Amino acid sequence: MATMATPTPATTTVAEKKTRFPRRTNWWVPYAFLAMPLILYFTWVIGPMFFSLYMSFTNADGISRMDWVGFRNYRRLFNDDIFWVSFWNNVRWLIAFITIPIVLGLSLALIFNNDLPGTRFFKAGFFSPMVVSSVVIGVVWSWMYQPYGLINEMLSQLGRDGTPIGFLSDPKLVTWSIIGAGLWRQVGYVMLLYLAGLKNVDTTLVEASRVDGASAFESFRDIVLPLLRPVTVIIVVISTIDALRSFDLVNIMTRGGPFNRSSVLAQMMYIEAFNNYAMGYGAAIATILGLISLVLILYYLNRTMKDEMEY
Amino acid sequence: MSLSRRTFAKRSMAAGAAPLVAGGLTLPRAAAQESTIQLASNGSNPEPKKRLEELVKRFEEENADYKVEVNVTEHEAFKQQIRTFLASDNPPDVLTWFAGNRMRFFADNELLLNLDDLYAEQGLEEKFPAGILEVSKGNDGHYYFMPTQYYHWAVYYRPSLFEEAKVEVPETWEDFLAVCDALTGIGKTPLTIGTQAPWTSAAWFDYFNMRTNGPEFHIELMDGKQAYNSQEVKDAFGHWKELLDKNAFIPQPEAYMWQDALTPMVQGDAAMYLMGRFILDSYPDEAEDDLDFFRFPIIDAGVPVGEDAPTDGFFASAKTDNVEGAHALLGYIGTAESQQKQFELGASPGVNIDIDPSIYDENTQKGLTMLQESDYIAQFYDRDTHPDMAERGMSAFIEFWNNPDDLDGILDRLDEERKRVYEDEA
Repeated sequence: MATMATPTPATTTVAEKKTRFPRRTNWWVPYAFLAMPLILYFTWVIGPMFFSLYMSFTNADGISRMDWVGFRNYRRLFNDDIFWVSFWNNVRWLIAFITIPIVLGLSLALIFNNDLPGTRFFKAGFFSPMVVSSVVIGVVWSWMYQPYGLINEMLSQLGRDGTPIGFLSDPKLVTWSIIGAGLWRQVGYVMLLYLAGLKNVDTTLVEASRVDGASAFESFRDIVLPLLRPVTVIIVVISTIDALRSFDLVNIMTRGGPFNRSSVLAQMMYIEAFNNYAMGYGAAIATILGLISLVLILYYLNRTMKDEMEY
Repeated sequence: MSLSRRTFAKRSMAAGAAPLVAGGLTLPRAAAQESTIQLASNGSNPEPKKRLEELVKRFEEENADYKVEVNVTEHEAFKQQIRTFLASDNPPDVLTWFAGNRMRFFADNELLLNLDDLYAEQGLEEKFPAGILEVSKGNDGHYYFMPTQYYHWAVYYRPSLFEEAKVEVPETWEDFLAVCDALTGIGKTPLTIGTQAPWTSAAWFDYFNMRTNGPEFHIELMDGKQAYNSQEVKDAFGHWKELLDKNAFIPQPEAYMWQDALTPMVQGDAAMYLMGRFILDSYPDEAEDDLDFFRFPIIDAGVPVGEDAPTDGFFASAKTDNVEGAHALLGYIGTAESQQKQFELGASPGVNIDIDPSIYDENTQKGLTMLQESDYIAQFYDRDTHPDMAERGMSAFIEFWNNPDDLDGILDRLDEERKRVYEDEA
């Protein structure tokens, strides 16, 4: 809001250009340059955020008058089965997204960091899912998951009998199936980040440790891994965000079904706000989802920052 | 980068092309005399799109004073955007939508143009069947909706498989169960269905409830005035459970979209599919000779017969600054001539009774007769009830499908949702 009050600098800056080294800078000059982006940021990011927070306390439906309803949306939310199903599914996404891509991505990066013949090809192969739009990934994987789709056919070729596995129809399996498609994309991404990280690891350090008698595993654990720490921090934050905002694959592959068993908070929010027109309720879900992300990220960043200081 | 460029190109194309097309058709006149009608449509598939273009072309030929600017939105996205459209200060003049409850929501919010004058002027009360007139009125009894087409729902089946199993078309529930048994006996799955999008299961619920408890109870339930955990509703689900216990449906229906579930039927492994007339759009044309339909079997002969027959059409925004244009376009859309042409281009049967019945093929005629002989026409579960309720309800049907023994618990939870939804409404 304060930025609105700052005067526009057009004429003064021209005058100042003449002196190559201005003796003193006016305090408001940086703000003047920032004014445009800040106005946009407040209009399109901060403003809507607070409006959405306000909306979560109303019975907004997109058309009728908005009335203040206090905490009713939140009370309803915590008693809603679908909310808890979605919440625990988000937790599943989170666990899978933090563990598996880091382990697999790091392993792949370590393999491809050596100049073996053909690594370029495989690197490109593992990274290529990132290039594909998530909608396409969702559609392709739901074909592969069909009862007579690629995966089931392969399993039966390998000698599996009986009814095909209902990857997307079995309530117990469905979330993991969708996470599987998500991981396929994420692993390549994490691999790429680690490859970049490994390029910055000083090989002389590793070699020195080997000369001093460390085993390959020891030098990996005590030299390479700590040096990769900054990359790992970034990857954990990105994976957390990706897991919490997972929506596209769920919406494309099952739309939360069967009977909401694969729903996640973002999917539930979408259905409530745009299908059921319960904008206020949808805003309440968005607020909770936002809070969860905020707490997780702040906690993690805070902890790692502290560790960095201790070095 | 490329995405934004593409969207930009698309937008500028849409903005540039629409007036071009329209402008080419109208005779060159002074711009001030022409009045533009904004038409927002959800017909995003190629066929409906072509039909709408044809409709607009004919309308403009007859009314050279008007130019129609068509704006097509993808079908599902339209359902969300229509709220923004109608609530904005400058809404489209005419929009596609669904008759009945879905339309009444907007009428209640005073967003729709009252069409009483147009109905009177064109004598439409004489031209549309009573059931259609009913779903074109708002809760206040005024007309807000111009219906164009409607289509029947029925049990589609393959006569050759019935012959193989030596069974006749069933009329009662007992007959129907016997047909299922006979089909199972020759190694066929009686019924196919794809419930990945769960609305297909809602058709089963509609029919079980209407056949068991009658259309009046059904509509009261849709309006939130009856309880989902009542004995009546449990009885309706009881019939459903009979079919599930017999394994009459294909396994894992949740894995298929409704079109995917046609495959076992086309391949001759499944015999029947409860579906709307639009099944013909997706069914392979060369196999359609071996496809027929029958009315959903009667469960209780003492109960009036209700059928699902969703009605589509158009309405105008209350804020339109072109009332005359909206009237002209809607009036044209309601004519027998326009609806007949639309049917010839592949639309569902028109609602105007002046349409020459000889244009209808035998199957369409049979469906229309079925609807005319019924006592009540429902719009379909997700059109008859509150959208929030529909979402929860259809989800509950699939849960029941997976876990039939928990019916009481599922219905208790569903009724809690009903209480909440209709309390919010009040």
